[in-house]
Amino acid sequence: MNLRQTIRHAAADRVAAHRRPRVLPVLMWAYVVWSLVPVAIAVLFSFNDGRSRTVWQGFSLRWWTGDPNASLLHDESLRTATINSLVLAALTIIITLPLGTALAVGTYRWRSRGSTSANSLVTAPVITPELVVGASLLLVFTHLYAMIPLGLPAQLLGHITFNLSAVVVTIRARLAMIGGSYEEAARDLGASRMQAVRFVLLPLLQPAIVASVVIVFATSIDDFVISSFLSTGAASETVPVRIYGAVRSASSPSLNALATLLVLISITALFLGIVALWAIRRRQGENVSLRTVLAEVTQADA
Amino acid sequence: MNAQPITHRDRVWRVIATPGIAWLVALFVVPFYAVACVAFGRIDPIFRSAAPEWNPLAWDATTAVGVLGDISNGPLRGVLLRTVVFVVVAVLISFIIGYPVAYYLARHAGRRRTLLLALVVLPFWVSYLMRMLAWVNLLQPDGFGSRALRLIGLDRVWLDGSATTVVLGLVYGYVPFLILPLYATLERIDWRLVDAARDLGASSRQAFWRVTLPLSKPGIAAGALLLALPMLGDYYTNDLLSRSPNTEMLGNQIDFFLNAGTQPQRGATLVLVLALMLAVGASWYVRSVVRQVAEATR
Amino acid sequence: MTSRISRRQFVVRSLVAGGGSLALAQLLAACGGATESTTSLAIGTPDAPVRLPTVGEPIADGVPLESGTLQLLNYADYVNPETVAAFEERFGVKVEISIYDTEEVVLAKMRSGAFKPDVILGLTDTVLARMVAAELLQPLNKTYVENFGNVIAGLRDPYYDLGAQYTVPYVIYANGIGYRTDRDVDTSVFVGDEGWNALWDSRYAGRLGVLDSYRDAISMAMFRNGVFDPNSADAAALSAAGDELVALADTTRPQIDVLNYEQIAAGNRDIALCWSGDVLAGQQYLPEDTGVEVLGFWYPQTTITANDFFCVPRESSKPVLAHAFINHLLDVDNALANQSFVGYQPALEALTAEKLVEAGAIPESLLSALVSPETYASGKRLVSLTPEVDALWLEQWTRFTAG
Repeated sequence: MNLRQTIRHAAADRVAAHRRPRVLPVLMWAYVVWSLVPVAIAVLFSFNDGRSRTVWQGFSLRWWTGDPNASLLHDESLRTATINSLVLAALTIIITLPLGTALAVGTYRWRSRGSTSANSLVTAPVITPELVVGASLLLVFTHLYAMIPLGLPAQLLGHITFNLSAVVVTIRARLAMIGGSYEEAARDLGASRMQAVRFVLLPLLQPAIVASVVIVFATSIDDFVISSFLSTGAASETVPVRIYGAVRSASSPSLNALATLLVLISITALFLGIVALWAIRRRQGENVSLRTVLAEVTQADA
Repeated sequence: MNAQPITHRDRVWRVIATPGIAWLVALFVVPFYAVACVAFGRIDPIFRSAAPEWNPLAWDATTAVGVLGDISNGPLRGVLLRTVVFVVVAVLISFIIGYPVAYYLARHAGRRRTLLLALVVLPFWVSYLMRMLAWVNLLQPDGFGSRALRLIGLDRVWLDGSATTVVLGLVYGYVPFLILPLYATLERIDWRLVDAARDLGASSRQAFWRVTLPLSKPGIAAGALLLALPMLGDYYTNDLLSRSPNTEMLGNQIDFFLNAGTQPQRGATLVLVLALMLAVGASWYVRSVVRQVAEATR
Repeated sequence: MTSRISRRQFVVRSLVAGGGSLALAQLLAACGGATESTTSLAIGTPDAPVRLPTVGEPIADGVPLESGTLQLLNYADYVNPETVAAFEERFGVKVEISIYDTEEVVLAKMRSGAFKPDVILGLTDTVLARMVAAELLQPLNKTYVENFGNVIAGLRDPYYDLGAQYTVPYVIYANGIGYRTDRDVDTSVFVGDEGWNALWDSRYAGRLGVLDSYRDAISMAMFRNGVFDPNSADAAALSAAGDELVALADTTRPQIDVLNYEQIAAGNRDIALCWSGDVLAGQQYLPEDTGVEVLGFWYPQTTITANDFFCVPRESSKPVLAHAFINHLLDVDNALANQSFVGYQPALEALTAEKLVEAGAIPESLLSALVSPETYASGKRLVSLTPEVDALWLEQWTRFTAG
């Protein structure tokens, strides 16, 4: 190609580059529809008037509050399961957050011998299938740690273990952004190391801590592999374990209602977390927008 | 990063990290050891319950060898092969679906990016069970999904124990876990490099294959592992969508041996087999993450 | 400071970490502990009934009823919620139901301490010998179970538990094929013992169920091969049965669970190996516009008949209440109400086939699913197997389920 052709080619291409792609947006929206519409339909069917989960028979609150036996409001065992789920999630958060934050800060700043092993240990659970974690915990609680009963205690320990890595990843991302300059400044002004951590680092980590709370809550509420491996029957059943047991059967739309309740709880937690993040970042004088808040959450998952 | 040097050799950080490390050792590492002790221990002859052997010198490999025999030339061979095939196919399909989405989000979304990002993140907060339940309902013979597919000519019974349904179920369940890491990597690409390639005469397709794709390799590798490794231990997708022997995955066998209580020793051995299958990919992933962390804090 | 770590270093460090945790585990091994047992099993058969060893003491007479929550361990949908509610109201207590899928799970989880029920429903004698050997059950005190006299005479002193020390019969049933009469099911094969071939017919592919019970499924394959011994220790016969089941899996992609009672009624399955009570229970799971005539049951000439039972765990926290619960379900009216939900025939003398039909509990089209005393007596019984033979059976089951 001679020079004139090259320039023309490049100019044409430049124009082409700025032409908005047409296929990709369609694929994008098709994906969004494909991933969300089935869930919306399932939620819709929780308001079905009849027993069917597949054929629409009219709108009713039967499975939520109406039916005296099977509705969410009246079924005692569902109440137990919901309480179990919430208690488990709350306890998991209370223990995992301090433990995970300390672990994140400690391994991030630990440069001497053993840091690679520590970091490896912390990263390993991320790609371990829950089946392996659940199976190994079942065997260890049955044969080795026999003083810890199966059921809620064992489930709690399992949930904490599985969530520690997620907390570390979230907080580590934020640590990378903060750097050490603020603490150094505080130390220069006379603060001890612990004071610098408490009064400078932790407040700066607040967004990541809030994001971690939301992530741990959602993970714990939705978990069924570890909960079912370590369960002891009705007394320690959580909502996902109930749902899992009932999905294969031909039960009524109360199952849809239960699953919708689960989703509502998670989304509420997410919403509260976003609001909290917004408030914190605004208070810290940082740039506030839905985009930056989402970046906090997605970076956590990256 | 513009970090002022902190005295990294300070023992304070090690002390702070110790409780967490101790926890992970006690509840992540030791359980693996317990699995090995059960696998290489003995079984109670009457109740077939496990009697683990804690001393590695006294480990008895008979059952383990038996299981390996079943795998190489017995009933478990099909399960293992099938699991690998399912995972490979599901990961490929996930990339075909997920990469364009992540690419569009990273490159072209512009003003709508926040909204689209929110919509893409949303499935994370919907529990896996709800998403599978949604499809189980839709794919019933009289469900909306089956009816809609019939309209475009795909008339079949979906929940009939076929492999297609299970693989597509895996894709649906796991694809959200691929899009975010891919997006994170693609977002960090310097698009001026692509522009430069175009300026140098490359067509848009060439620019993609020779600039964008290679730059996104780390994200692709990490995403593939983030998907494939947990998927190898999946048993619930098959349980919810099929329950038939010809879609049985390795996870189902482990679940059966351990939870149905019949043969915990075989179950433990299979867990070790699964861990071995994960080992190569897992250690690569762990090493790359550790390396990233070390570079970031240098 | 190294940011790159060589493969060798990685392996070495992993080994060090492993060694450290090994030491830790040795330390902790003192806290664990399962020891091997050396007891033997008391297995009763119809030809050689057995009196089980009496392990522990039954509760004393005249102990007052406990209050609180009774933990019931049961199969899914295997007791009428209304009957349970009546019990709760009568005694002012609550009943919490935990579900199990197979008996083996009950044995394993009770031994490991995961399950701690107060009363168990639905176990059969294939697991009884091991439950007693594991000292998991307590001898019953019949003074709390006045309605015991209602039980079918032939089952008051069963071969698996002479003197009914630990067990009280719950329901009776038989194995057969449940199917939809309104689908394309070829009923011409349902003759004599030939009907089992239907389960290998590829026209039902993807719409066929097989019970998630290794004894029932493998026995069925052996019966099809002409070997009518459901407790066979013959490795060759078992292996042949296993081959047949693998062929079945390839041809018809069966779904393996215990949910036939609702799946056939819901229309997801056209045909299944199931228990007779499954089709009777199916009446309730039919969609609103479908009549009971769509359900059918084929009763083979030679088949397995069985009964299951109630039992009370040794560590039951509410034994008197447990006995009261058993007594409640042995009352004829309660049993009839229970049957309308559960489907299976209660093992009560008064509730004969005629009585059930008269009470409107059994529609005409499902008369074939009833177990009369003659058919019950002529059926084969599944008994406990010795561990070695059991292992052979489980091996074939693995072949089948692993696909």
